[in-house]
Amino acid sequence: MKAIKTVEPWALEPLEKFLAEASARLCLLTTPTGQVIAQYGFSRAVDVISAAALGAGIISSSREMAVMLEEPAFDALNHQGERHGIFLAEFSSPRGGLVVLIVYGPESSPGLVQLFFEEFVRDIDASCPPPAHQAPVLAADFEKELNDNLRTLSGGDV
Amino acid sequence: MSEDIARMSAELASNPDSLVFLRLGEELRVAEQHDAALKIASAGVERHATLADARDLLGRVLADAGRLREAQDQWNEAVRLEPRSLGARKGLGFLCFKSGDWDAALDNLEIALSIDPSDKAVVHGLANVRTAVESFEREQGRLSGPNFSGLEGAKDGMLLADDRGRVLGGGIVDNQGQNRSEEVCAQLAGVVQEATRACKMLGLGNWEWIAGEAEANNLHVTRPTETSLLLLVRDRSIPAGRLAIMADKAVASARQWLQEQFG
Amino acid sequence: MSADLQKKLEEVTRVRGVMGAMIVGAGDGLVVAESLMEGVRGNAVAALAASLFSRFGDASSASGAGAPKFIHLQADEGSLVALPGADDVIVVAVTDVGVNVGLVRLEMQRVVEAGT
Repeated sequence: MKAIKTVEPWALEPLEKFLAEASARLCLLTTPTGQVIAQYGFSRAVDVISAAALGAGIISSSREMAVMLEEPAFDALNHQGERHGIFLAEFSSPRGGLVVLIVYGPESSPGLVQLFFEEFVRDIDASCPPPAHQAPVLAADFEKELNDNLRTLSGGDV
Repeated sequence: MSEDIARMSAELASNPDSLVFLRLGEELRVAEQHDAALKIASAGVERHATLADARDLLGRVLADAGRLREAQDQWNEAVRLEPRSLGARKGLGFLCFKSGDWDAALDNLEIALSIDPSDKAVVHGLANVRTAVESFEREQGRLSGPNFSGLEGAKDGMLLADDRGRVLGGGIVDNQGQNRSEEVCAQLAGVVQEATRACKMLGLGNWEWIAGEAEANNLHVTRPTETSLLLLVRDRSIPAGRLAIMADKAVASARQWLQEQFG
Repeated sequence: MSADLQKKLEEVTRVRGVMGAMIVGAGDGLVVAESLMEGVRGNAVAALAASLFSRFGDASSASGAGAPKFIHLQADEGSLVALPGADDVIVVAVTDVGVNVGLVRLEMQRVVEAGT
């Protein structure tokens, strides 16, 4: 099994369980702004960053459309293709909003992904510690931290 | 040059980092344009050294060119990067079988089957390796008789498997006379995993058996021991209730047979 | 979803021992219609039953038996039964352990005939 790469250890166990139960091929856990927290299955940092940006863009567009329609926020987005499906959802956690993007194959289904996503949200809620203190927006070692995170998420192939 | 190859070549030329080289290299290999395939695959590995699929592609191209030692190196590296690389497992299974390392061939092909139970090349490859191993062992006097001997009806329509989808005994032959045991076993392991999960999540307790009526046959799956599965297949003239009784008898025989074989 | 179809689903649930009956998308594992007793998780039944039906179908086809017309998963505290309807759906029922499966199947067949 490919290893999950994460910059937040509390995400590891819930993600491992979710990936196994939903038979996911690729997974990305990000903040709503596209900052990557964990990834599974991506080979290159550039793909991780692109997928995170696209996912955040879709979430943001959907939210705006919900506002225009005077609807509460949409729960999740699911596209089922011939060979692959994607599932994209935003959810609340003790650390604020998070976004999960899953790519799954024919061995899974939207129903299974949705079902185990609900468990995943509960597991994240239980494992995620509340934020410690508000860090400065641009910490002094921002660039080093960014590079360290990218290296962790890509397995060195940055 | 096919339209696809031309289009992918142009795409790769405009973006050398693109992963389109994986499909392009494979198309060239299948079209027997070996030099071009090797060039694309080698360049791909150079650019994407940690991508298991790139190593697998280069392994296939090298194997086609008869450079088996180098192919093996690439597939070993692919498996190191991604233990569930289907292509690399298939390639290594093939090479190990050719070099007479049957245990390693079986290991690699069994992992390949667990990755994709519907891959016909793996199913047939595994069946061929097992047949070769069994006939060799029989020649050497290490096997006393046909597998699953003594179990009534075991030659066709009855299959004993372990919970990881490997054949323990019996056999399933389809209408065309093809032995489908390997494929059915692999699929059966998936059925049982799903049944176990469904029962647990829906509060139904432990699963006992699954009965199915299909277009041509009735099927009954049950569990002689914690780690084995028994599938009974009979034509539609045998009603489900009678099939269940037959399955009960078969379970008793299977338990006894497993005890004799494995203690 | 026609009122008639919903009524037929409710008739499945009226069989003694049936805890819920549903129409489920075979490919996506999502609920199309349901008639469930309290406490039965519809989305879980739908997703897991569709996946089981699909996997059993793969095994059945691989063996040469063809596509399944009916499956019955028996567990020590209940059972799950499913049969295919038209338009890529399956009809599913969850039951307790002592149910008359023949009767349940008959009522499920009526759901199919009512136009799934």
